[in-house]
Amino acid sequence: MSTQRIQPAARHGEPLLAVRDLRVTFGRRGEEPFRAVDGVSFDVRPGQTVGLVGESGCGKSVTSLAIMGLLPTRGNTVEGSAVFDGEDLLSLSAPQMRDRRGADIAMIFQDPLSSLNPVIQIGRQVTEVMERHQGLSRKEAMPKAADLLERVGIPDPTARLANYPHQLSGGMRQRALIAMALACQPRLLIADEPTTALDVTIQAQILALLKELVVETGTAMVMITHDLGVVAGLCDEVNVLYGGKIVERGDRHTLFARPRHPYTVGLLNSIPRLDAPRGEALSPIPGSVADNLPWDSACAFAPRCPNALDVCVRQTPQWDGDDVVGLRCFNPMAVSR
Amino acid sequence: MSASAGLDAARGARTAAPGEVLVEVRGLEVHFPIKSGIIFDRTVGHVRAVDGVDLTIHRGETYGLVGESGCGKSTLGKAILNLEPPTAGSVIFDGVDIASLKGEDLRKERKRFQMVFQDPMSSLDPRQTVEALLLEGMRAHGLDTDKAATHARLRELMSAVGLPPAGLKKYPHEFSGGQRQRIGIARALSVGPDLIVADEPVSALDVSIQAQVINLLQDLQDELGLTYLVVAHDLAVVRHISDRIGVMYLGGLVEESEAGELYDVPLHPYTRALMSAVPVPDPTVEDSREQILLTGDLPSPANPPTGCRFHTRCPWRQETRCDTERPELRVVEVAGASSGHRVACHFAEQIAAGEIERHEVEAELVSEGFGGPDGPPTPPEAYIAP
Repeated sequence: MSTQRIQPAARHGEPLLAVRDLRVTFGRRGEEPFRAVDGVSFDVRPGQTVGLVGESGCGKSVTSLAIMGLLPTRGNTVEGSAVFDGEDLLSLSAPQMRDRRGADIAMIFQDPLSSLNPVIQIGRQVTEVMERHQGLSRKEAMPKAADLLERVGIPDPTARLANYPHQLSGGMRQRALIAMALACQPRLLIADEPTTALDVTIQAQILALLKELVVETGTAMVMITHDLGVVAGLCDEVNVLYGGKIVERGDRHTLFARPRHPYTVGLLNSIPRLDAPRGEALSPIPGSVADNLPWDSACAFAPRCPNALDVCVRQTPQWDGDDVVGLRCFNPMAVSR
Repeated sequence: MSASAGLDAARGARTAAPGEVLVEVRGLEVHFPIKSGIIFDRTVGHVRAVDGVDLTIHRGETYGLVGESGCGKSTLGKAILNLEPPTAGSVIFDGVDIASLKGEDLRKERKRFQMVFQDPMSSLDPRQTVEALLLEGMRAHGLDTDKAATHARLRELMSAVGLPPAGLKKYPHEFSGGQRQRIGIARALSVGPDLIVADEPVSALDVSIQAQVINLLQDLQDELGLTYLVVAHDLAVVRHISDRIGVMYLGGLVEESEAGELYDVPLHPYTRALMSAVPVPDPTVEDSREQILLTGDLPSPANPPTGCRFHTRCPWRQETRCDTERPELRVVEVAGASSGHRVACHFAEQIAAGEIERHEVEAELVSEGFGGPDGPPTPPEAYIAP
């Protein structure tokens, strides 16, 4: 499509987004404030796909909402910095942030039915972004919207513009949402569980589409998911989150071949694989997130950890590594698995 | 385990030799009417959720049903238990046709087949304690006559699913998702069933918790000789826990096989596509494997395609037969396929032998809802760009 910038995917160079020591604390009435994100730092370079993986409650979605400035301000504190293109997104005012959202940075949400407005036609929802950021009239933007819908693989796009979200299937809605996110050719795309609500065959279609877009347009992408399989196929760099902190980071080949953190190993061992021999019992991670210790004076994962030492419940493990590879553990798994 | 001995005793002397047929489903159909009109409830069509399914479940085995949303797998699971009255067909459970049972006879028979639901939060009454939840079924079937024995049994149930006995006095909201699912399983076990239908038992749970529940289900099966029908969309989970698997597409079984064989020798084009779409947590495998991307969406079950239901999306579709003749499940002569491996495809042998080339499929637009065969009406062009 002519409106897309075609750039070779750059793997190195200056980070497009540099998140440093991000902390998000939710105030709770009559209770101790809850720290959902506890010092998360990572970089995203142009053309790179960075994965944030973890289970519910690990802070992966809150991280993305904080970067996008979409958390409710009342009662919550967001600390740290998220430098995008030389500018700290967290220090921007609400109107400044509105100029950025949808133009430079776009987001794809999990549930396409609740993130599309049910009483507005698809066409208007897609053109809205272009009207707001590119100053186009709706008439000018409509053909572009049809192009976008075609680009994301929606058959008969011109007719679809007049449809309402309920008239489209789940996969089509997610495609429409991706079209909206791409409308202003953002440089950074944050995808928060974009395929979780979809069936596997539709998931495969959407993942293939996202992969293609990243390669073709050089867009950087942050992929937030709980599905290690999705990460394995899509992300260049993988960050594993637990209890609001990144506990392990690495490029996908290293991380999956030689996971070091007991939590990463536990996650990999607890999912049945389609290509593994059958009949072996799964080894689940014992306990649940409710058993977590506070990070202040311990490793949060220690109560569930098979490798836990005495020090794990007395001291906070420090980040050992840099912005490419790293680990937060006193007693990691041996290198060979 | 003492708990299991007690549970076994409660089940009485019903346990028989494995391999015996426990459930025999023949020609099962569940059609939901589509109503229209304001004053007169006219029936304008039917959603064919389950449209002619034959399957057999043996005692002590785990039968897995997979398919995408809307394929009718959950409805089939419910219809087997007569929670959803079948429109046609029979379900012979240990010699009794459940599909034709009604009222008190059906209610009495229910203690032999129980269900575990997907969402433990909405399937457990938030205002009942765990004890009350577990007792309800036992009371309904008159299993709570001896107070001391009932009390002991409740404790056995809790320990069988790995929960502390103190949990009996608590309410569902005091438990985590995985623990709630354990309560759901304990409730199903409380009346000593032979068959448990588990509808997406782990899909609402976190990855690390899923494995705990899967292992629990397997341990319980080993100890109590239970028979499972597991309905799930996650192929890897189904393959892990099932002995045999049936793949459903638009209300019908398209392939049925022993679990390992289904992955090694998938014969139906839909099974192949489904298998290739599941992401594997291994970058090397992900980079090298061949994906069969299906185009378009599942057609509406209110208006299923003619002939083979899958022909609109099938990359191996042929000019003849596919769109006119609905294929029956049949055993095919293919290397690696055993006699229990059945597939509903006219050209399974040729596809397996590589005699038929895969081709591109143009996506057909599928509308949600019941917009008729052509989807929702399209407004005139002028309406689109005001």
